[in-house]
Amino acid sequence: MRELAVLVVIGLGTYLMRVSFLATAGAGPPRRLARFLPHLGPAVLAAITVPTLVAPRGHVAVDETLPALVAALGCWLLWRCTGRLPVALFGGLGLWWFGLGMFAVLTV
Amino acid sequence: MTTIASRHPRAVRAASPLWRGLADGAGIVLAYVPFGTALGAALARTGLPPGLSWSSSPLLFGGAAQLVAVQLLAGGAPAVVVVAASLVVNARLLLYSASLAPYARGWPRRWRWAGAYLLVDPVYALAMGRFAGADDDGEPRGRLRYYLAAGATMWVGWSVLTGAGVVLGGLLPAWLPLGLAAPLTFLVLLLPMLAGRAAYAAALVGGVVALLAAGLPLGLGLLCGAGAGVVAGVVAEGRHA
Repeated sequence: MRELAVLVVIGLGTYLMRVSFLATAGAGPPRRLARFLPHLGPAVLAAITVPTLVAPRGHVAVDETLPALVAALGCWLLWRCTGRLPVALFGGLGLWWFGLGMFAVLTV
Repeated sequence: MTTIASRHPRAVRAASPLWRGLADGAGIVLAYVPFGTALGAALARTGLPPGLSWSSSPLLFGGAAQLVAVQLLAGGAPAVVVVAASLVVNARLLLYSASLAPYARGWPRRWRWAGAYLLVDPVYALAMGRFAGADDDGEPRGRLRYYLAAGATMWVGWSVLTGAGVVLGGLLPAWLPLGLAAPLTFLVLLLPMLAGRAAYAAALVGGVVALLAAGLPLGLGLLCGAGAGVVAGVVAEGRHA
């Protein structure tokens, strides 16, 4: 019951953040803030993505980092060529599995 | 001249914002299959009752915060710490709200309040990609329909995928790792946003700073990277204005 109550509180807090500016959309964001908003998406998503790609288990290791970076590069190329996000994602995952398998074979 | 009435009905329906939202949302759900099931399996492994850990999907509707909250709860962390850490991880949604607000200006108030619940990374990425793109005609009702359709599709998909992960997680073979599914999923959301030098600067600096600050607790590395990336984007835009 305590755990559920904590999740409900987090859900409410998260909702308040989601609705904060949407609720008063008529006024628009302050001018100073508006300058920063267009860059928010790329900055946040890259901040989520890059650390996990470079250090998949929290530290840089060739047999972990290299397959992850190759997968990311393949993902980007597939997206540029096809424009289809599922194709890019599954292609990237496939490359990652291939890379992990190659390292596993080479280190046996 | 081609008019709406002269087009094939299926073509009109396919081009409507509602159907585009459903189709784009379904595409993202498909891309989220590895991440959603992997996260569900991770939630199931925390030791909390499966139903309780899955309830974080409808309650929080955001993978990163769900994992942090459920892991901390299972580890016996104080409630204040669990709430604070999860809200820090979700702080980016505050900025997403500010970023989306100008496009929601013409939406009825009740739908802005209801639609806020659906605001999460992929829905934000889809909405911004469409509203700032050539396909957008600036009509508020069409934007609202697109946003709600994409968001509702993602919500249903996410709930189903994480539920499947919770139930079937133990059946996933060990030789099929899904650990990279999450970052690759966020990468495919990032790629369509990389249009212009300012966007590349924001992403590059944001990613590098977050990497350097990855050791900070409570998700602060993410916030440091995001802040630095946004500033880099503003600077890059100023130089090439």
